[in-house]
Amino acid sequence: MLKMTHLSKVYRTEVVETYALRDFNIDVKEGEFVAVTGPSGSGKTTFLTIAGLLETFTGGEYHLDGMEVSQLNDNARSKIRNEKIGFIFQAFNLIPDLNVFDNVEVPLRYRGMKTPERKERIMNALERVGLASRAKHYPAELSGGQQQRVAIARALAGSPRLLLADEPTGNLDTQMARGVLELLEEIHREGATIVMVTHDPELAARAQRNVHIIDGQVVDLAEDPRFHTAYTAAAGQVRG
Amino acid sequence: MFNYYLQLGLHSLKRNPALTALMVMAIAFGVSASMVTYSVFRAVSGDPIPEKSSQLFVPLIDSWGPQQNDHGEPPGALNYVDAMALMRAHQSSRMTLIYSLMLSALPHDANSVPSQATGYAVTGDFFPMFDVPFLYGSAWSNADDDSRAADVVISDSFNQRMFGGANSVGREITLSGHDYRVVGITGHWNPSPRFYAVWGESGFGDPPDFFLLLNRALDLKIDNTGRNSCRGHLTFRSWDEWLQSNCIWLMPWVELNTSADVARYRQFIEGYAADQQRAGRYGWAPNVRLDDVPQWLEKQHVIPEESRISLVVALCFLVICLVNTIGLLLAKFMRRAGEIGVRRALGATRHEIYSQYLVEAGSVGLAGGIVGLLLTAAGMSGVGLLFEPEIARLAHLDISLVALTVAVAVVATVVAAVYPAWRAAQVQPAWQLKSN
Amino acid sequence: MHIQPILAALRKHKAGTLLIALQIALTLAIVCNALFIIHQRLAHIAEPTGVDESNVFVIENMWGEQYNKQQAAANVEQDLATLRNLPAVQDATQSDSYPLSTVGGSDNFITLKVDQVEPTTDATVYSGDEHFLHTLGLKLIAGRDFRADEVKDAGQRDVVVPPVTIISKAMADKLYPNGDALGKSFYSMSSTPVTIVGIVETMQRSRLGAWAIPYAEQSMVWPIRDASPLGVFYIVRAKPGQLAAAMQEAPKALYAANRMRIINPKDGLMSFAQVRRRAYDSDRGMAILMGIICVVLLAITGAGIVGLTSFWVGQRRRQIGVRRALGATHRDILHYFLTENLLISVGGIGVGIVLTFGLNLWLVTRFELGIMPLTYVLSGVVLLIVLGQGAVFAPALRASRVPPVEATRPA
Repeated sequence: MLKMTHLSKVYRTEVVETYALRDFNIDVKEGEFVAVTGPSGSGKTTFLTIAGLLETFTGGEYHLDGMEVSQLNDNARSKIRNEKIGFIFQAFNLIPDLNVFDNVEVPLRYRGMKTPERKERIMNALERVGLASRAKHYPAELSGGQQQRVAIARALAGSPRLLLADEPTGNLDTQMARGVLELLEEIHREGATIVMVTHDPELAARAQRNVHIIDGQVVDLAEDPRFHTAYTAAAGQVRG
Repeated sequence: MFNYYLQLGLHSLKRNPALTALMVMAIAFGVSASMVTYSVFRAVSGDPIPEKSSQLFVPLIDSWGPQQNDHGEPPGALNYVDAMALMRAHQSSRMTLIYSLMLSALPHDANSVPSQATGYAVTGDFFPMFDVPFLYGSAWSNADDDSRAADVVISDSFNQRMFGGANSVGREITLSGHDYRVVGITGHWNPSPRFYAVWGESGFGDPPDFFLLLNRALDLKIDNTGRNSCRGHLTFRSWDEWLQSNCIWLMPWVELNTSADVARYRQFIEGYAADQQRAGRYGWAPNVRLDDVPQWLEKQHVIPEESRISLVVALCFLVICLVNTIGLLLAKFMRRAGEIGVRRALGATRHEIYSQYLVEAGSVGLAGGIVGLLLTAAGMSGVGLLFEPEIARLAHLDISLVALTVAVAVVATVVAAVYPAWRAAQVQPAWQLKSN
Repeated sequence: MHIQPILAALRKHKAGTLLIALQIALTLAIVCNALFIIHQRLAHIAEPTGVDESNVFVIENMWGEQYNKQQAAANVEQDLATLRNLPAVQDATQSDSYPLSTVGGSDNFITLKVDQVEPTTDATVYSGDEHFLHTLGLKLIAGRDFRADEVKDAGQRDVVVPPVTIISKAMADKLYPNGDALGKSFYSMSSTPVTIVGIVETMQRSRLGAWAIPYAEQSMVWPIRDASPLGVFYIVRAKPGQLAAAMQEAPKALYAANRMRIINPKDGLMSFAQVRRRAYDSDRGMAILMGIICVVLLAITGAGIVGLTSFWVGQRRRQIGVRRALGATHRDILHYFLTENLLISVGGIGVGIVLTFGLNLWLVTRFELGIMPLTYVLSGVVLLIVLGQGAVFAPALRASRVPPVEATRPA
């Protein structure tokens, strides 16, 4: 489903070149639920933006659903984002000017879908997250957990093959976080591929497989001594 | 998709009512100022006889010479001697000479007072040359011109005043003590500007009441009330001496249908001027002009200076309003950079973002156009304050001006939005993720 | 306030900065030129006529029949006698034209020598009798008025060149700049000289088009009775305060004496106030239009600055919060935005001054407008700086009230 080989991402400024990702390799199979973990600045968000075709990369290859994406233009990338990928952001990223229904509608609109189908999908997605009754509410009128559920409904409405989540519970309290996580697990059970970036080990433990990034590279936990210190430190921070 | 963009645009405009109102008012004021001044400009700058304006010519001969003419240009009309010579030569398919008259229309009953009537002395060719429409009767013939008949053609409104609107062809009318026979009644006809008589007139005055047979008017020594311009020492003491003077006052027009005719006629007047030089009447080389209607109107500065300046200033004003709109749209669009980033992440292409914002701007423009239309209508009622009455009354709000007002508002606003929308479309989809 | 960091920040808002500066530049150009046009038109309107305007009115009298010279002259004399006998009337005269009439009469070339080719000036010729000066209220400052026996009749297309004339001071100064015009003579498209027997302080021309600007107030009166077959203007001076009464009784009395005449109901009878309004219609309209445009333009530019600055303040709340957290006072923040606006204004004004003169030069070549004095640009500059600072004040005040805690919130 998602395969990166020898991928690199370099940020260049006038003085220095910084490798955000270096010789990065990952292979996520269809139907997997993968958690990507690592300390702050390790490159996990960069990985997610590249995986979501929000940014281009510098070298290597990236196959998404069997297609090499490095040569695609902006329009083709937009189309793939729209049809194959669902995003769940830490800060929800709902559009404050639009109500819940209209927010969920956004990706469907860009797909040029007919009104009845669009309506059905939106309502199904909202029912799925238990917010069908709040369709006319504005994001500001909802709690954080509810907002994230709307964001998930928005990601689900387009029936994406791949769901990318960036710290989906990062802005939520424990109880709300649990609800969101259960929803993700349910979605996974129904067959979706999910890649979730988090630095919360408890959350990561719920995934089928964990991938750890340190200094822009995927590392094998067992073999890399750097991991133990960094990982425990990060975990400690979150728990504290 | 357009509907979706429109919904989004209207929604967004409702979210910032103050900013929206500011943009709408700026566009409305800019457009209405331009439209009010344009309506006046349009009224004074149009082609008064579009189907024939390139076949009608004013032949002019320099009868004053290089020392007394206007910077080398021949004077803008003919003296009696030259005018009559051109008439007698019959070198064009049609020709008329025109001068202004003001007469009294005598009442029928003994107790009422005479009223004023204005018109022109013309030849019979005048009517077919200028496509004058007739309600009743017709123009007089060339034979009538030659027999110096007491014929008059009157306008429909004068016919209304004198005969209550009945078909008065064949009836007698008394003007300043002389009797004339009505041969025709024109339909409503008042080209604006009145191109055939703009030398010494604004070209926008009240329409004429009558047209008198030129030779008859000259026989009766009915004086010219229009412009009369002379050079050198004025020595005439009577009508007949005045006719022989260098004073110019007769407006000549010829109809020439082909370019060969035009070339031939030009040659003819040059030949005539050369003959006059040889005869010792003029002490200078031929200096002639043959201007068609647009050239003639341009030369006579028919469009009032005020109309041009106010149009220029109003258009500058519109440009400033648009610069203002660019700034405000930029602010409005960029304030929503977050939303744009999310939309891009959810699969909107740059083109879709660009279209969305252009449609939003278009709806601002439409609102500006509608408010601008109201302001234009208000401005039209106040146009009498801004321009001379005879020009102000020409300006009116018609369908084409309504359409133009709205179209200018929408197009101008969309053009103003090109840069802000482009900036909006440049927002990177990754931006929002990064900032977290 | 340090300018360097403000300039650096502005570089981040290039488009917005340029737009405000451009708007200020264009506004300056339009407002200066509009104010200049207003001033010129108002100055034109304010030019004196020399006429006792509050008591004078004019009747345009057209004859109902085509009279010969003797008949016309007799009718004019009879009408004048009728008018002078009216209780509300002080005096009456006849002419082929009058100051600001815009119609009738003639403009003659004036030369000092009989065979001179290039004219010395161009003057309006008014035909008038021994009542002309008194009726119009013109002030004789040298020489004498006409005597009744000097007044000659002029019929149709009958050029009567009189031996004597009374001229305006402006014309006297033009012909004889040393102030010794009285008793001297000139030629007015004639082979016989005309001698100056009187000079009046002010006597406006009849026509005021742009072409007549070099000949401002150049006019003269010839002792002639207008006996043309067409008609004549009667100029009437009412007794003080009795203008309305005189205007009512005069046409009635004339029609009663002889009904074969036309006094057009539309504009045949006009008080001098109406004459003045008609003559300056387009000037007044132009001044009003330019005034409206100036006011609306300044309002829109001001509102635009408020709008854009508010947006910037909103965008920089966090940055302002950080500054506050680091110890900036309310006053520092306020000054920051005021200075920022001042810098943009100064930039815009720099460009605007060039545009102002460019537009002025264009108007000069296209529309015979004068060259704009520097004072207009200076007042325009002050006006726009005050406008900019005023417009930016409210959003700047709001910025200064941003609490330091904003620094801790996510952008």
